[in-house]
Amino acid sequence: MAHRTSIKTLLAATALVTSASVAVAQDKPASLDVGVFTFMSGPAAAYGMPGRQGAEVVIDMINAAGGIDGVPISATFVDEGQGAEGVISEYRRLAEEPETDFMIAALSSGNCLALAPIADQMEMPTVGWNCDSHQLFADAEHPYFFRPNGNTIAEFMAYVIYFLDNNPDVERVAIINPDYSFGHDAAEIVKASLAAFKPEVEIVAELFPKLGSSTYQTEVSRLSAARPDVIFSNLWGGDLENFVRQAAPRGLFRQSQAVFALGESSMNNVDMPEGVIVGVLGDGWWRSPDAAELGAPEFAEAYQTKFEKAPVFPAMKMANAFMVMKAGYEKAIEANGGAWPTDEQLTAAMEGMTIDTLTGSMTFRADNDGIVDQVVGMVGSVEGIEGPVLTNMVRYDGDAVLPPEGEDPMAWIASLTPDFIAAMPKPGSYE
Amino acid sequence: MNRTLTLSGVALIILALAPQIFPFLQFTLTIAIAKGFAALGVALLLRAGLISLGHAMYYAIGAYAAAFMAQKLGITDFAVIMIAATVISAFFGLVFGLFLVRYRAIFFAMLNLAVSMVIYSLASKLYGITGGTDGLRVAVPTIFGMELSKDAFDGVLYYVSIVLVVALGYLIHRYLKSPLGNALSAVHSNEVRLEYLGVSAWSSLLTAYTISAALAGVGGAIAALSIGHVLPEYAFWTESGHLVLTAVLGGIAGIAGPFLGSVFLELIHTIAVGFAAEAWNMIVGVALLVVIFFLPRGLFGLFERLSGQKATDGEPKL
Repeated sequence: MAHRTSIKTLLAATALVTSASVAVAQDKPASLDVGVFTFMSGPAAAYGMPGRQGAEVVIDMINAAGGIDGVPISATFVDEGQGAEGVISEYRRLAEEPETDFMIAALSSGNCLALAPIADQMEMPTVGWNCDSHQLFADAEHPYFFRPNGNTIAEFMAYVIYFLDNNPDVERVAIINPDYSFGHDAAEIVKASLAAFKPEVEIVAELFPKLGSSTYQTEVSRLSAARPDVIFSNLWGGDLENFVRQAAPRGLFRQSQAVFALGESSMNNVDMPEGVIVGVLGDGWWRSPDAAELGAPEFAEAYQTKFEKAPVFPAMKMANAFMVMKAGYEKAIEANGGAWPTDEQLTAAMEGMTIDTLTGSMTFRADNDGIVDQVVGMVGSVEGIEGPVLTNMVRYDGDAVLPPEGEDPMAWIASLTPDFIAAMPKPGSYE
Repeated sequence: MNRTLTLSGVALIILALAPQIFPFLQFTLTIAIAKGFAALGVALLLRAGLISLGHAMYYAIGAYAAAFMAQKLGITDFAVIMIAATVISAFFGLVFGLFLVRYRAIFFAMLNLAVSMVIYSLASKLYGITGGTDGLRVAVPTIFGMELSKDAFDGVLYYVSIVLVVALGYLIHRYLKSPLGNALSAVHSNEVRLEYLGVSAWSSLLTAYTISAALAGVGGAIAALSIGHVLPEYAFWTESGHLVLTAVLGGIAGIAGPFLGSVFLELIHTIAVGFAAEAWNMIVGVALLVVIFFLPRGLFGLFERLSGQKATDGEPKL
């Protein structure tokens, strides 16, 4: 007897999913529907939720100011915690819907790598809001995928420049990064930068605890024994907080200068010692002088009112992604004589665009990777502000630390010399 | 019998037409079919009373094989990729099966889990080869020398998958009716008796294990080509658990069961994520409980009621 697929279930289920395939009209829509992809479940929600909250606040702000050319933004949030297949399938579903105008996706680099070709295929203008893997634009062009928020090469090289300037006598460096591509990529970049800038530096430990570890006692012991001058880490979220809680009582931060690349997002949750080098992977520190002039404090105040805490950099990255989208539309509308643009006109306008986000200036290169400044500083306190802030800051020009287009990033780093650092602004030059 | 055939025919026609009405369903259903193949592989072993908690590894091996051929070896032909991915998964199934099928019950489940997590770790740690957790990109393959756009290729892939469901489904159906296939139920009911009949339980299981790995490989290759990206998470143990769940939910009494379960789960997932981005896991969970409570024979039980037949002969109770 042959048993095959049943209709009933299939019919009932298909009927539940409704959508229509109608050609996209170029009339001004009633609302600008944006698909926003972020982690809302699992450990990565530690970054995904501030992102989502940042989106809510910035949408309210833009809509209160009249939306984009009078069109209010409305967002559909999609959970990246469901895995790549689910994310892709949701992206496709939203992109097929005629109402969807724009996508802001995604947080995870793996998801961005998977979504970029689909954005091109479906001709859906998309902004990657947090993913920073330098692999993204390395071997393929993505005319519909834009990334305004930074590239791992620039991000991690900035820290090496900072700590070499700050601790010129450094001889021994240890690395402790999460055990996935992000951590391994960062370790490669740090090692390559050190080899170029200060070849005599020795890497005394390279640890990759697994993502979501609850105990770091082994790692702390290894690090204590290795006696590094500098500990570099791109642990983040709950991992970073756990590590700091377990390492601080054992005196690790008195012995070595710690560098937490994603430290800003955790410094309000855990007692991070003053003097630890932290940053925001880009320029998304809302209290920076540039940000103060660009409207970040207003955003932060609205965020504070709504969620009762200050925005961390993932929230700023998300807000900036919306600012990029807004600027893109406005530029395209202007170029189109005031009429609502098609998707092609929109992407054409975004190409090579320079805009002021909430925290600084951003320019798209020809490959759609954004040139963003890198703000690095130290945990410190300032009179009049409750809680830790970034002090002794420096702002590296985004163009200077990003490998030239089309060049192999690692080969580019290898071609640099110590003179490169000498030409860079010094810690404390940006207050 | 006739009603069963008609029902299956109608179901396949609906499957074939669904993307014409709801274009986005094409991707969801392609993935559902891909996972359906892997779940069918799990279902084969369930017939012998063996629960594999590691079958996602063969799904991943199929997917990575497809990605490797396209990216590292420059083989772009669709047919070659599909066949080679299947053969490679079958090969791994044979090698691991050589020692895994010696074990039963919890030991079989756990050892499969262990091997699959080794594969998962290798996929996520061999950065130079597998791209680590960022995975590998899969280019759009050519079809007998023709270069297609991704859109056109997805259409072809979908209909090829449906044809494969029919073709492989029929072959597996024949296999289950053959003495070799019947031996699986015999392993479950009384292995000693089977040995006394002169049939080697080990070789019957090894055959089944290899076939089930090949089926998972077919699914993995379809998924890789459809998604265009492979990630180590394909081999993660939760994926394996998902496959067992799919098989049990769909029902293991017939070939259609795992596919039914898979389509059902994927659709529920899509709907839940679409309507309640923050509570989707709960909705999926509740849907599963409903099926388990009210359809103890899985979704296949519904199918049997519709077709008016209920074949419990020669089939183990779970």
